[in-house]
Amino acid sequence: MIQIKELKKVYSGVIVVNIPQLEIKKGESVGLVGNNGAGKTTLFRMILDLIRPEAGEVLSNNEPVAGHEHWKNYTASYLDEGFLIDYLTPEEYFYFIGGLHRQTRAHVDDFLAGYADFFNGEILKRGKYIRDLSKGNQTKVGIASCMLQNPELLMLDEPFANIDPTTQFRLKNMIKEANRTGVTTLISSHDLNHITDVCDRILLMEKGKIIKDIATSSSTLAELEAYFAIGDAFEQPASAELKIDPEENH
Amino acid sequence: MISTFLKHELKAFWRSKNTGKNIAVRIVMAVLILYLLLNVVVIGFFMDTVLKKVFPHDGLILSFCGIILFYFLAELFSRLQLQELPTLRVQPYLQLPIKRNTIVGYLALTALFSVFNLWPIVLFFPFIFKVILHDAGLVTALAFIVSILGITILNNYLALYIKRKANLNGWIFLITAAAMILIGMSDFMWHIISIRNISYLFFGHLITYPVLALVPVLLGVGMYFLNFAYLKQNLYLEELSTKKDKYKSSTEYPVLSYFGSTGDLVANEIKLVLRNKRPRSALIMSLFFLLYGLFFYPNPAMRNNEAFKIFVGMFMTGIFIINYGQFMFSWQASHFDGLMVSKVNFADFLRGKYLLFTASSTLAFLLTIPYVYFGWRVLLIHFIMYLWNMGVTVNIVLYFANRNAKRIDLSKGASFNWEGVGATQLMLSFLLLLPPLIIYIPFKYFGYTDLGLAVIGVIGLTGTLTRGFWIKFLEADFYKRKFTILEGFRNK
Repeated sequence: MIQIKELKKVYSGVIVVNIPQLEIKKGESVGLVGNNGAGKTTLFRMILDLIRPEAGEVLSNNEPVAGHEHWKNYTASYLDEGFLIDYLTPEEYFYFIGGLHRQTRAHVDDFLAGYADFFNGEILKRGKYIRDLSKGNQTKVGIASCMLQNPELLMLDEPFANIDPTTQFRLKNMIKEANRTGVTTLISSHDLNHITDVCDRILLMEKGKIIKDIATSSSTLAELEAYFAIGDAFEQPASAELKIDPEENH
Repeated sequence: MISTFLKHELKAFWRSKNTGKNIAVRIVMAVLILYLLLNVVVIGFFMDTVLKKVFPHDGLILSFCGIILFYFLAELFSRLQLQELPTLRVQPYLQLPIKRNTIVGYLALTALFSVFNLWPIVLFFPFIFKVILHDAGLVTALAFIVSILGITILNNYLALYIKRKANLNGWIFLITAAAMILIGMSDFMWHIISIRNISYLFFGHLITYPVLALVPVLLGVGMYFLNFAYLKQNLYLEELSTKKDKYKSSTEYPVLSYFGSTGDLVANEIKLVLRNKRPRSALIMSLFFLLYGLFFYPNPAMRNNEAFKIFVGMFMTGIFIINYGQFMFSWQASHFDGLMVSKVNFADFLRGKYLLFTASSTLAFLLTIPYVYFGWRVLLIHFIMYLWNMGVTVNIVLYFANRNAKRIDLSKGASFNWEGVGATQLMLSFLLLLPPLIIYIPFKYFGYTDLGLAVIGVIGLTGTLTRGFWIKFLEADFYKRKFTILEGFRNK
C-alpha cells in the first residue's frame, strides 16, 4: 500500500525524519509511537504530500504521492482541526465530503444515522458551526468524515487525544472493524495501551528514525513501556511528559 | 511595556511570511506620502496667496476660517478609507501580569502615529505664523494652533472608532459614508447648509474668545477615552459574540448544484463570506464602492474625461475581486491542509474561484446599470471594464494568490488583529487599475478613444475565452509553490 524510500526531512539543519526504507502492506494496521518531536506528524504530512521531503519519496499503490492526486481517491486522513472547514455546520461538512466522493445526501444521511452513538447527540442538528464545537467533538467530526469516504487507507494522528473514554473505546472498535474489512490503517498515539490493543504492527520513532518495528504480541506493551520509562542511552526519562503534547494544542 | 509591544510588533513584521511584499508596499507608500507631503508644504506655505486668488472679495483671515472645517470633513472621509488601524495580537498578553489598561493604552496611543495627523500641521501652521500671528497677536495664534490640534485628535479617534465599529459591522461604514455624502451634497448641490459659514462661526469667534480653543481639545480627549473604553470592553467581546446561542442552520444554494463539485466549492466559499466577520465586511465595503460613481459622474469635468469612467467602471464592477481576491487563498488558510488531502481537484478549486468572481462581477455590473442616467457611454464603458475584470483582473488576482502565504484566522477575528481596509490594501488595488489606463491613454492621445476602449474590451474577452488555458497555467504555477503556501498557512 505504502512504500517509503530514503525519505528525509530537514528543518533548519536538524534531521526530523530519516527513513531509509519502510513498507506498509495492504490491510495492515500500523501504530506509530514516539516522544514529542520524534517526527510522527511530519511523516504523516509527507505521506499526504503536505510537506516536501528533502530527499526520497513516498509511493502509494506504487505511484509517487508527490504531485499526484490519485491517492486522494482512497485515502482518508485526519491530523488536526486544520482538516475541517470550521464555518460549516457538521451536516454541511459531511455533505460536502460525501459530495466529493459522489455520494448522495440520502447516502450521507444513512451513514450518519449509524454514527448516532458515536456522536452522542452532540454533533448533528445542534445548530452549531464546527468552530463552535469542543475540540473532542471536532475530532469526532474529523474521524466520521474519514469513515464516510470508505477509504482503503486511513490515517489518524493522535485520534485518542481529545476524546472521552467511552468514545476512545468506540473508536478502537471502529478501527478494528475497518481493519477486518481490509482497510489499511496508520495511527499515531501516545497511549500505549490503546495502540498495542488496536495495531498489529508498532513502529517506534525516535529523532526521525524508526528504531523499532515490532509485530504486536503479548509482550509488546511491556517492551514499549520499558523504552519510554527508562529511555535509552541518549534520552532523558520522558514518561511524565507523555500526556502533554504541544502538537495537539496547535 | 509599550516598548516591548513595539519590539514584538517589529519582530512580527520582519518574521512574517510576506515580509518582502510588505516592505515593497511600505516603500512605495513612503514615496507617495513624501510626494504628497511636499505638495501640502507648498500649499501651506503659500496659503495666503492661494486664499486671495480663490476668495478675492473676502478678508484673508475670514476665508481661512471658512476652509478649516471643510478640510477636516474631507480629511475624515479620506481617513475612513485610508488610515490603518494599529494592531497587536492581544491574546498572548491577556493572561500575563500586564494591566489591561497598558494593552489598550498601547493600541490607543500608537494610533496617533499616523501621517494623517501631520497634514493639518503642515497645511495650516505656516499661515497661522505668517498672517494670524502678525495680524491678531500671539494669543489668537495659540488659540488657532490648539484648536486645530484638538480637531486633529478628534478626527483621528473618530475615524478609528468608526473603522473599528465598521470592521464588526460593515453597515456602519456604509451609513457613515452616506451621511457624509449627504452633508457634502447639501452644501454643494442643494445649498441647504454652508460648511464655510459653520466653520467661520467657530473660528471667527476664536479671534474674540480664544478660550473656545479648549472645546475641540475636550472633544478630542473625550473621543480618545471613548476609543479606550471601546477597546477595553472588546478585550472580552470575543467570547460574548461567538458564544451567542443562535441556532445556526444548514443552508443550500440549489442553483450551484448545476456546477457539480465546483458548485459545492462555491457554496462553501459563499458561506465563508457570509459567516465570518472579516470577509463579510469586505463584501459590504464592495457595496460602498458601488457609490463611487456618484463622486465622479456629477462633476462635468470628470464626466467628460473617459479615463475616469474607465477607472470608476473597473472599480465598481471589479471591487469584490480586488477586495476579496487579494487575500486569496488566505481566507481558507485554516483548512487548506484539509482541502489539499481531500478529493478536490485543484482545477475545480480554481474554477470555483472564477465562478464566484463571475457571479459577483455580474451582480455588480447589473447594480451599476442606473448610472446610465449619466449617459449611454457610461454603461458601455462599465460593460467593457466588466469584460476586462472577467478576463484580466481575475487572472492577475489569482496569480498573486499563488504568491500569498499569510495565514488569516477567521475564527479568531477580533477588532484587534486585523486592519480592515487601509491604504496598503487600496494601493494594491490601484496597481490593478493601472493596466487598462496604460492601454487607453496612448489611444486617447492620438484621438482614437473608441479604438482604445475596443482594445480593452477585446483583451478582456480574450482573457475570458481562454480561461481553460489560465486554469492550467495557474494550476501548474500553484504546484510549484504549494509547499511554501501550506507552510505559511500552518504558521500561526
